Amino acid sequence: MAAVAPRIHDVPDDVLAAIDFCYEQGWTDGLPVVPPEVGRVKAMLAADARPAETVIAHHPATGLDLSLHAAAVNAVMAGCLPAHFPVLVAAYEAMNRPEFNFHGSTASTGGSAPLIVVSGPITDEIGMNADVNLFGPGNRANAAIGRAVRLILRNVFQMLPGISDKSTQGNPGKYSFCIAERSRGNPWPLLCEAQGYPQGTSSVTAFAGGGFCNVENHGGNTPEQILGSVADAMANYGCITLGQSVVILAPEHMRILADAGWTREQAQDCLFTLAKRSVEGMKSVGKFRDREYDRQHDDKAHGLVEAGFVHRGLGPSDILITMGGGDAGGHSCFIPSWSRGRSSLMQHAAITPSPTPSPQS
Amino acid sequence: MQLYSPMSTTPKRKAFRAPALASLDGARIGVLENGKLNAEEMLHEVTQLFVERHGCTVRLLKSKSNASAPAPSNTIVALAQDVDFLVTGLGD
Repeated sequence: MAAVAPRIHDVPDDVLAAIDFCYEQGWTDGLPVVPPEVGRVKAMLAADARPAETVIAHHPATGLDLSLHAAAVNAVMAGCLPAHFPVLVAAYEAMNRPEFNFHGSTASTGGSAPLIVVSGPITDEIGMNADVNLFGPGNRANAAIGRAVRLILRNVFQMLPGISDKSTQGNPGKYSFCIAERSRGNPWPLLCEAQGYPQGTSSVTAFAGGGFCNVENHGGNTPEQILGSVADAMANYGCITLGQSVVILAPEHMRILADAGWTREQAQDCLFTLAKRSVEGMKSVGKFRDREYDRQHDDKAHGLVEAGFVHRGLGPSDILITMGGGDAGGHSCFIPSWSRGRSSLMQHAAITPSPTPSPQS
Repeated sequence: MQLYSPMSTTPKRKAFRAPALASLDGARIGVLENGKLNAEEMLHEVTQLFVERHGCTVRLLKSKSNASAPAPSNTIVALAQDVDFLVTGLGD
């Protein structure tokens, strides 16, 4: 169906009044937004060479489309610079795949938020944070890109809290949930490389994240000890499902794995092997379902699946692991997936650079 | 100052309701369960009420592999060809 022309509102030449106008329209996440002034939106759109009406995502439940124009409006409101726009566009191109199911992951009582992991040279080019206070505040690119993802769900796709977003408790990532993968000191191939993109191409990975679980371990000195504590978090009774996982290892923890010569694949195998609960244990908390067990243990089961146990995920490749955070501290994290099953699978997409260089923050 | 609206510019899709059945008596029921815990049991109870009260027959039970995604179109087509109405709902 052909899109209609974007609507323009005339408001007084007063920024504070314009911010109030945005509140009155119901366009915000509760925090003030940058008024989407026409000139700023056009500057944002210049960061993508395609026509403004190009559709980059579609919402099956409502039939609503996300055009580059609407993405640019929300990017301005979130505080993005034009240099950030290609990351936002790629995030939605990944989220638009049916396997990601952004409708379900947003509408569900599960309360997930799209975690956006940015990998490759663009992270430095646009000044993203992969270091200290990785998931915290303080960096414009991280905060604004993640916020723009959420504002689009609200304003374009009408996923409104309490109406079409029925999250029981939600999670703080529903304001913004975007990080950069740390390349400095990372002993493993970057995600964009592991995902098979050409050298120099950056990528985004989108994951419907159900929250944030800190994994503290200051005493472990072997990969098994470090990953044992991560696996325990992954397999806690509140979190264990057949869903996927994201694990961001702190540099201190990663050094222990690197010094022992461990690869990403070894770490994935270790976590998948250890992150499990017995059938009896699952029954004891009322979470055992034979349908899920049968799926994990069918004739296509991964070789590390152990009879009598429910593992987290279907195999080691369901666990994304990389490094992020500051040099000091034995604090890694595990981010559980939304849903008890396989209703949303993480997706990645290449980031297409802006046609003209844009100033960074 | 001129501000762009951040909403989608896609025109609203027109939705139409199917015409109501003239009578439930003797109608054929399809069941679409979403795969969640107790969904099948709950829907079975509901359909039994139609069987008892209206002499309906349960013709087809289809399951979704993804509770939060739309049913595949071939599932809907198969149901539509063989039933007069469909019972679905969230089990949890």
